[in-house]
Amino acid sequence: MAKRGLLLAWAAMLALACARGEHTPARELRINLETEPPTLDWNLATDGVSIIAIEQLMRGLTRLDAELRPEPDLAERWDVSADGRTYTFRLRPGVVWSDGVPLSAQQFVDSWQRLLDPATAAEYAYFLFGVKNARAYNAGKLADFGAVGVHAPDASTLVVELDAPLVYFPALVNFMVTFPLRRELVERWGERWTDPGKLVSLGPFVLDEWRHEYRLVLRANEHYWAGRPPLDRITAYMVQEGSTALVLWEQGLLDLVKIPSLEIRRYAERPEYLRRPLLRGYYYGFNTKKPPFDDARVRRAFALAIDRSQFPEILRDGDQPWAAWIPPGMPGANAELGLPFDPERARALLREAGVDPATLPPVRIVYNSDQTHKLVAEKVQAFWRDNLGVRVELENREWKVFLKELTSDPPPVFRLGWGADFPDPDNFMNLFTSYSENNHTGWANPRYDELVQRAAREPEPAERQRLYDQAQRILVEEDVPIVPLFVTASNFAVQPRVHGFRPTAMDLYFFEQVSAE
Amino acid sequence: MIRYAIGRVLAGVGVLWVVATLTFALLRFLPGGPFDKEHTLPPEIMRNLERRYALGGSLSHQYLDYLARLAHGDLGPSYKYVGRDVADILRDAVPVSLELGSLAFALAVAGGISLGLASGARRDSRVDRAVVLVSLVGVSAPTFVIGAGLILVFGLGLRWLPAGLWEGPLYAVLPACTLAALPMAYAAQLTRAQVVSAMEQDYVRTARALGVSEARVRRRHVLRNALLAVMTYFGPLLATLLTGSFVVETIFAVPGMGRFFVTAITNRDYPLVLGVTLVYGVLIVLANLAVDLLYARLDPRIRVGNTEK
Amino acid sequence: MTARAWVGAALIASLVLLALAGDRVAGYRFDAQDPAHALEGPSRAHWLGCDALGRDLLARICEGGRISLVVAVGATGLALAFGLAYGALAGWVGGRLDAVLMRGVDVIYALPDLLVIVLVIEVLSAALAGVLPDLWRRLAAIALALGFVGFADVARLVRALVLQAREETWVEAARATGAHPARILVRHVLPNVAAPVFVSAAFRIPAAILAESSLSFIGLGIQPPFSSWGTLASDGFEAMRSFPHLILFPCVAILCSLLGFHLLGEALRERLDPRGRA
Repeated sequence: MAKRGLLLAWAAMLALACARGEHTPARELRINLETEPPTLDWNLATDGVSIIAIEQLMRGLTRLDAELRPEPDLAERWDVSADGRTYTFRLRPGVVWSDGVPLSAQQFVDSWQRLLDPATAAEYAYFLFGVKNARAYNAGKLADFGAVGVHAPDASTLVVELDAPLVYFPALVNFMVTFPLRRELVERWGERWTDPGKLVSLGPFVLDEWRHEYRLVLRANEHYWAGRPPLDRITAYMVQEGSTALVLWEQGLLDLVKIPSLEIRRYAERPEYLRRPLLRGYYYGFNTKKPPFDDARVRRAFALAIDRSQFPEILRDGDQPWAAWIPPGMPGANAELGLPFDPERARALLREAGVDPATLPPVRIVYNSDQTHKLVAEKVQAFWRDNLGVRVELENREWKVFLKELTSDPPPVFRLGWGADFPDPDNFMNLFTSYSENNHTGWANPRYDELVQRAAREPEPAERQRLYDQAQRILVEEDVPIVPLFVTASNFAVQPRVHGFRPTAMDLYFFEQVSAE
Repeated sequence: MIRYAIGRVLAGVGVLWVVATLTFALLRFLPGGPFDKEHTLPPEIMRNLERRYALGGSLSHQYLDYLARLAHGDLGPSYKYVGRDVADILRDAVPVSLELGSLAFALAVAGGISLGLASGARRDSRVDRAVVLVSLVGVSAPTFVIGAGLILVFGLGLRWLPAGLWEGPLYAVLPACTLAALPMAYAAQLTRAQVVSAMEQDYVRTARALGVSEARVRRRHVLRNALLAVMTYFGPLLATLLTGSFVVETIFAVPGMGRFFVTAITNRDYPLVLGVTLVYGVLIVLANLAVDLLYARLDPRIRVGNTEK
Repeated sequence: MTARAWVGAALIASLVLLALAGDRVAGYRFDAQDPAHALEGPSRAHWLGCDALGRDLLARICEGGRISLVVAVGATGLALAFGLAYGALAGWVGGRLDAVLMRGVDVIYALPDLLVIVLVIEVLSAALAGVLPDLWRRLAAIALALGFVGFADVARLVRALVLQAREETWVEAARATGAHPARILVRHVLPNVAAPVFVSAAFRIPAAILAESSLSFIGLGIQPPFSSWGTLASDGFEAMRSFPHLILFPCVAILCSLLGFHLLGEALRERLDPRGRA
């Protein structure tokens, strides 16, 4: 009997020792991506999960500092012509890709061509529509890319010609879709060019391993131009259950996690807690091509039936109810705009539109699997049921699949967020133009398009504000293809061994700034 | 014995063929596929499908093509993960489920049988009462309850074991225990019942009367018969455990087949769903075959094929 | 009845009572949202506390009980009805029909339960779209699906029993008198095989409750805002760390009901079918 007891004690101690030893080794970081990144192809990616990985692998002409001002990255410096239409970027010498090939300006041209090529069908093609002839090329009206306003006169110079001066252009080229590309590799490997072993990059980290639906491993790029990052290795897991991820964090098996909304109160006072208000909006979109949401009155009615003030009580994660679209903190924001909570008016509008809640088939809300989105969806379901008498069904999808569905077969009501790609209102407003592939509502309003385009070029701030107010009124008060709900914040739990983690207001992480004991 | 084995193998192949045909029919007619006019697949996937598979041609041509590809282990492309084949996706996931399942199976068998033996042999003692109570709770608690409980106690409370992921042998402990709980409890109940009734059988009393030692009696007669009876439960159980419990894999973030199965269903990714179905079918047939053969070996009264007089 | 049987019966009786009385006991509707009390633990106003949207947990558990019972009883009834017919036919007629029917059972065993359940639920939910209101549609689909995967076991059991009974002398006597086979089957054989089948039913119900709550836990069963114990457990699991009452109470409910059925089932087995664990 005594022997058995001793054996058991031994086993227990061994187990304890093993468990302790599982903590992350020094100079390594374990994070949680929450879900499988839809793609690592930076011309095609559109979402916040993919960008986390892409941003560590690649960089662009510029980067945004803590105050969101553009600073040199791959471009050492840039000049702008007197009329504001021509930018000349001088590339930093000595930058090499992970296979030893030097960076050259032609690689930017190749990348922008692929982005704009109609055959690529990139959702973000419209991002570069400010460049001369880019739009025509993307529409297929121009066969020769040479006529588009981006050229590489020599290996270290990139010249960009715009249709009209865009003050925020240097900030715009911080975004991943403008990163340079090795065309020959993409042609050689096709869809698999982003596989580990094939992916060639030039950022602070290199792709080591990608075990789908489970984890992604990045290792330090010894030849990074700004010096080897302090971290040796980043392992990004894909743990979908927020509570499991949190438990793993508590156990020291994960270093950095997003805290599920319901748990935030418990962490708010702890030193490991980090909150970052974001330039990020959360909205519900309608498929405006199919009934009942093809009628603007119905859309307005559904928007009026939502009481946004209840969300902070449920979520308690720093979300700020916001009925307009341009988020607070961004120039052009206007807290006065948007539809209030008015159930009487909502019901009257439904009657006017001839919709009878009793006979209306159940409305489908589709969202990507997540605790917060589920809570919001259940809340909205209750709002529409209690205030309009409408039946609502909820469906959820995995993120990657959800995105695909939005492009090919948009649901009647879908949930989506939008974070700033660069800190200018144009990035928020041109999302819903008729030519934006990121506009999944199917809504097109030429007057809105025109207002947004004019505002993008308008140098005078007061006039710009006026134009954006008019455009926002169409977007969130009259036509209402979307119902903005709130502006979000990120809430992290960060292990004390991690230093230097500073996510920006654009929800970008730069892990070369991070070190871990 | 050989004849019996061959017979069972053929029966197994027959079952698999039926399952394969069913999956072909389902793939053809379920919504969201290349033949569905209403819901269109994303263009990249359509291009892939058209490039590699005989989408035209008669139904029988497609069917034969499908069977031929299955024989080569080609389960077709996923409808939802662009550029990836079902076989690729499962290649990483299946071994994980197999590891988890085998561990759980071993736990359930060893634990269940020993508990059942210990309790049955000492009927109405404190040990027996404890085992009966615990196994009653074990069959009454859903997997997610047990999983949540284990995470709270061993993960958060004692900090002994990781609450999720699959990075090393220690990570398998909690999920395997959770998965094994119900089968272990049920096996304990089964074994105990068998032991209790076997102890009262004539031949046992005869052996005792003849002076055979108690231990020998237990080992040879009681154990063997108890095992035989319990084995019919373990056959299908093995296959179920090997395919990975979806609940356990979801809770513990284990990258196995079960979790893919569930996400594939939510995503309406039917080729992946049916790929898992086929793998499951193969595992079940193999597991049942193994058990049948083992059963035949163990029980001299059922030497299938030759009757003993 | 043993003490254990009484405990089992008591647990089941409480379950049924709660399921029937439900709203009145708690005083709230299961889907009434009250954000002011969101995530509170047990209090005077809400005896078991509230969930994230301020819905009373006791009311939701009672509603869950109702759902579980309906699904479990429905599924078991269907499995029994179908399994009885199928197994009796196979066992009584024998020969080729028996072989074919049993191959069919083999195929069903070779398919993953989850797949069959989900497919049946999908197909039925769509088919019943206009016919039944939302919750009932889902319940019917789940019950039918669970019943379908459950009938195979019953069929096997009934077949074995019928085969056995066929050899009995009194059955041979009945046949010898020229009575119609169907009449013999129904009037003489079936009542004698009823006991083991009844015992199996007693264990089928908790299995169905378990299956439904697991399905709902992973999101493939009952959908919001309806609350089966599985969806309650799933919601509670997500907030387990900070608000354990959300998962604790539904789990206790599940445990108690399953325990009750098992205890009663054991007692029934002792009485009616002491020989075998089928």
